[in-house]
This record gives sequence, C-alpha cells and structure tokens, in this order.
Amino acid sequence: MKLLIKLAWRNIWRNKRRSILTLAAIMFASLLAIAMRGIQLGTYDLNIKNVVELFSGYLQIQEKGYNDNPNLNSSFQVSTNIINALKDTKGVSGFSPRIYADGLISYKDESRGASIFAIEPGAESQVTSFMKNVNKGKFFSSDSSNEIVLGSELLDNLNAKVGDNVIILAQGYDGALENNKFKIVGTVKFGAPGMEAATVIMGIKTAQSLLAMENHVNAIAIKIQNIEQLKKVKFSLAGKIKSSSLSVLSWESINPGLEQLLEFSNVRGIVFLGILFVIVAFGILNTVLMSVTERYREFGVVLSIGMPQIKLAYLIYLETFFITLVGIVLGNISGYILNSYIVHHPIMFGGELKKFYETYHFLPQAQSSVQFSIFINVSISIIFISLLSCIYPAYKVYKLEPLKGIRHT
Amino acid sequence: MEILKAERLVKIYQDNGVPVSALNNINLTVSKGEYVVIAGPSGSGKTTLLNLLGALDKPTEGRIYFEGEDITTKDKNELSKIRLHKLGFIFQAYNLIPVLTAIENIEFSMMLLGISDKERKEKALALMDELGIKELANKRPNEMSGGQQQRVAVARAIVNNPSVVLADEPTANLDSVTAGHLLDLMEQMNSEKNITFIFSSHDKNVIDRAKRLIILKDGRIDN
Ligand SMILES: Nc1ncnc2c1ncn2[C@@H]1O[C@H](COP(=O)(O)OP(=O)(O)O)[C@@H](O)[C@H]1O
Ligand SMILES: [Mg+2]
Repeated sequence: MKLLIKLAWRNIWRNKRRSILTLAAIMFASLLAIAMRGIQLGTYDLNIKNVVELFSGYLQIQEKGYNDNPNLNSSFQVSTNIINALKDTKGVSGFSPRIYADGLISYKDESRGASIFAIEPGAESQVTSFMKNVNKGKFFSSDSSNEIVLGSELLDNLNAKVGDNVIILAQGYDGALENNKFKIVGTVKFGAPGMEAATVIMGIKTAQSLLAMENHVNAIAIKIQNIEQLKKVKFSLAGKIKSSSLSVLSWESINPGLEQLLEFSNVRGIVFLGILFVIVAFGILNTVLMSVTERYREFGVVLSIGMPQIKLAYLIYLETFFITLVGIVLGNISGYILNSYIVHHPIMFGGELKKFYETYHFLPQAQSSVQFSIFINVSISIIFISLLSCIYPAYKVYKLEPLKGIRHT
Repeated sequence: MEILKAERLVKIYQDNGVPVSALNNINLTVSKGEYVVIAGPSGSGKTTLLNLLGALDKPTEGRIYFEGEDITTKDKNELSKIRLHKLGFIFQAYNLIPVLTAIENIEFSMMLLGISDKERKEKALALMDELGIKELANKRPNEMSGGQQQRVAVARAIVNNPSVVLADEPTANLDSVTAGHLLDLMEQMNSEKNITFIFSSHDKNVIDRAKRLIILKDGRIDN
C-alpha cells in the first residue's frame, strides 16, 4: 500500500508542468470560492448585524398580525407576565418596548411625513445601537420629555436647526388627530438616506400621550447573547408568554426584504460557484484523461504482470486526490490570508455603488469571513468534484486490456 | 511434470475486418524446469503464441492447460490472478516502471501479492544480490543501461517464484555481449531454481543456446 502511494506521488511529478498547472487551477478555484463565499457570508452577517443590531433586534414580541399589517391599534400592554418571561428566558440580554406611528412634522412653512419611532432610551441602548449614531446635538435621556431626535436629512428638509421647536400631527389610538409641540435636540445618521428623511424619534411615554394609547406599545425588541441560539431562545420565550394574541418573531420575519435580498444574493453566489466548479471539473477530467492515455503502455505492462484493474483505477484516484489535496491546502492558506485581510480592512464602496447600496439600506461596504464552514464546504466540494471527474478516466483504465495497453503507441 | 499444454491452438486476428491467421493448429507441451526457445522469422506468430501461453489473450480455437487447468475458459480477473501468482514476464523493451527505483520495481510484484514491506525489501535485496545487481537497488530505470534494466526485469519476473517465465525477445534490444550475460543469468535461474523459461527470439546466439527449440513458420510449428 505504501508503495502504491509512493508510486502515485511520484507519477504526479513526472509531468511537472501539467501537474503544477492543475494544482494551480485547483488552488485558484478554492481561493476564489473561499474569497467569494467569505465576502458573501461576511457581508451577509455585516448587514444582518447592521439592521438587526442597529434597529430591529434579533427578536421582537408583537401582537399577532402586526408584522404583516402594522398599525397603531395592534398594540399590547407590557404586562408583568411578559416582563417575567423575558427575565426568565436564558439568552435574553436586553429588551426594549417601542411604538411606531405615522404623522406629519412641520416647521414654519415646511411639512414632511414623519415615521415616529418611540423608545425608552435606557432600555433601547441595551438592545440596539442607533442611539450612538448621533450626528448633531444629543440624544434625549428621558422618555417623557418633549425632546425629539430627527433623521439628519429630515432636519435639512425642514430647514430647521437643533434647538428649534416643531409641531407633530398624528392620528391617535382613538382615531382623533392629535398634535403637540416638540423640541429638536439632535439628529441621527445611519448611512440610509431614505430612512433619515423621515425618522422622528421620541420617548415612549411622550408618544403614548401624543397618541392617546395609555401604556400600550407596538413591539418589544429583544437582544440575545448568542446569535446561534436564536431559535432556541425564541422557542423558549414563546413558551413562557401566556397571551395567545402575542407572537415572538425573529429578525428574518421582522425584516423580510433584507432576508430575501440576502437570500437572493446567496443563491446567486452559489450558482456562480457551481459554474466555477463545473469548469474545474472539466479541467481535471481533461488533464487526468491525458495523463492516463499517455501511460497506456505502462499500464499494459503492470496489468500483464498481474496488477488488478481495480488497483490501477485506485492509483489514478490517488494521483488526482494528491494533486487536489495540495491545491486545496494552498488554496485554503491563501484564502485564509485574503479573507482575514478583508475582515480587518473591509472594502468600502464609493460613488454610484455606495448610493445603490444605501438605497437598499445596506452598508456600502464588503466584509469577509473566516468562519470554518466556508473552508470545509469549499474543500469538500472541490474534493468531491475532482473525484467525480476522475470516474471516467478511472473507468477507462479499469476496462483496459493488458495487450491493448502494450500495443498502444 | 507437465506444466503447460496447448492443444490445436488457432488464433485469427481481425485486421479491419480482414481475418489474419497468426497461429494454425499448434500443439505443444512444456514440462516443469524446461528452457524453451521459440524461434522464427518476424510475423511467424511468436508473440501471439507467448501471449496465449501467458494468459494475456485467448485463442480463437483450441485449449490451453496450465498446471492441468483449462485457462481458455477463465475470465479476466481469474487470468489476472494466474499471471500474478504463477507467471513472470520479461519484455523486449524492459518496461520497468519509470518512477520506481530498481528495488521498488522488484517489490512492486510482491506488493501486488500483499507481502509486507519488510519481507519485500529483504527478498528483493537477496535476489538482487544473487543476480549481481545489488548496486543498482536505488537507481531509477533512466539511470541504468539496457542490460541493467533487463536484469532488474528478470528479477521482477522471478521474485514471486512463478511456475513459468515468459519472455518475448528479451535480448532484442541488447548487444551480443550483454545478451550473453542475460542468457547466463536466465540459464542459472533455470538450473538453480528450476524455473521454467519460455522465450522467443530470432537471434542466432540465443537459438544456439536453447535447450529445446521450437521453430515457428507462418503460424505453424516447423520441426
Ligand atoms: N493485434 C493484431 N491484429 C491483427 N494482426 C495481428 C495482430 N497481432 C499480430 N498480428 C499478425 O499476426 C501475425 C503474427 O504476428 P506476431 O505474433 O506478432 O509474430 P512475431 O512475434 O513472430 O513477429 C502477423 O502476420 C501479424 O501481422
Ligand atoms: Mg513479436
């Protein structure tokens, strides 16, 4: 057995140029696949993190139906049962009640549509990070003051300044139009201009009194300790909440567009890799077939002296496996170096590309990933396709008659 | 003891649909320990006969008995096993495995029999010593002369103690002095180890030294 391995290994180096080319092709294919998968998954995670950690939280408690048809009236009280359930669920590291409403904001002659987003500053900072994105001024600290924070573009559109007073008009819980005067204390910027042109953030008690909704909220956003435990935490929390009118949703359901877009680009990436692998498979098939046909005479000799055909086919497999293995190891090493470099130095987009990404609420940057599964999946796929593309040459060898081999010139 | 017996062998090749008769009604018996040379001009059927006796090909008609067993009815795998366990081959063009050293080439046959690493090395070295080619052990075929390669090929052919060694024109590529040394070696193995040799040649020097001579002419034995 050891001799057969020796034989296979030395056979590879007989035609150095061809073996190195094959090896380089496999290395390059694995490098490309690892780099692409890395950017795909790294950017995927980055955007999930961005949207989820910035705004939505990984989980939310909502009234059933609210997610599909958000309206102020689908609301609920933050009961002690809910609070206890949240506190008792392992893996929940913070939660924050919220209200979402639509309204109109006016300053002097300018009026704009407003997406009102009401929070409890203390709790919210435990769950999401958007409060850190203060651009001008500061964030309000009490949830019952009349201080508000606007998206930076909205402030510009209103021709207002930090410190100015504005009027907000909104339809309240009871259906009546309500309005109140508020003071702009700051602006926020997330790199999502569409959103920044409408966002109005206020304290949750302030919103409850403006909208006459007493102590009701629309959602409780939840932060969890470990993303990998998302399903587990969701399930365990849902089991503890007694109310049948409430549901626990995960970030995919809360942000269906994000999930779909990411899924689409994921599928597109996999299709591209599939095409790459097919090309690699044909390349391997071609070189192995060439190296086999060249050695028919030699194979005829070893078959004559009684080598079983199956062992000869096995030899072809060993040779291919060795080339593939070396190519994959080199591809993995260079892939790891490249991916970690990108992890530490993300690619920032500028110009049109930046605008395009921002329109879809994506961060205008590409991140990579060095997660183990990328390397394992790419390596296994390439080993698989290389062994697959060996079937035909190995079969030809398996069917070779000793005399045909000897006569072959 | 009768080791090989051919009965009314006929071999007809199809050359692009045209039948070519290579062997015609060959009857032949070879006993254990014989040293047989098959002679005849080019195209007389020497290679064809050796291929049939060596279980590499099947006759169109007739039977071949090897140690009493009819090998013309056996399948590919059985023939391969017979070649591995019972036969040794020496080729005109030496045909050592180019990436293996001399000793590894000799070990190769033993590896196919599943003999352990250690035993393989010992046996190969002992045999090389006996054949006076010990100093070639770690040379690759392209570092050896034709005569040296053919000696290694002889070692490869006999290392598994075959019943019969078949050699198709083993000296054809060698000069007469080297050819003479190789014949010495084969004769020595024949007399010392009682290995049966059957080989073909159209070289007068070889034919003169044959202990038993079979002359082929147009696919028939011409004695
Ligand atoms: N594979 C083959 N196909 C067709 N004809 C063949 C084949 N092998 C040998 N022959 C023919 O059979 C005859 C005997 O050939 P061969 O056994 O090679 O003779 P020798 O070895 O004595 O030169 C020749 O006429 C040769 O042309
Ligand atoms: Mg011939």
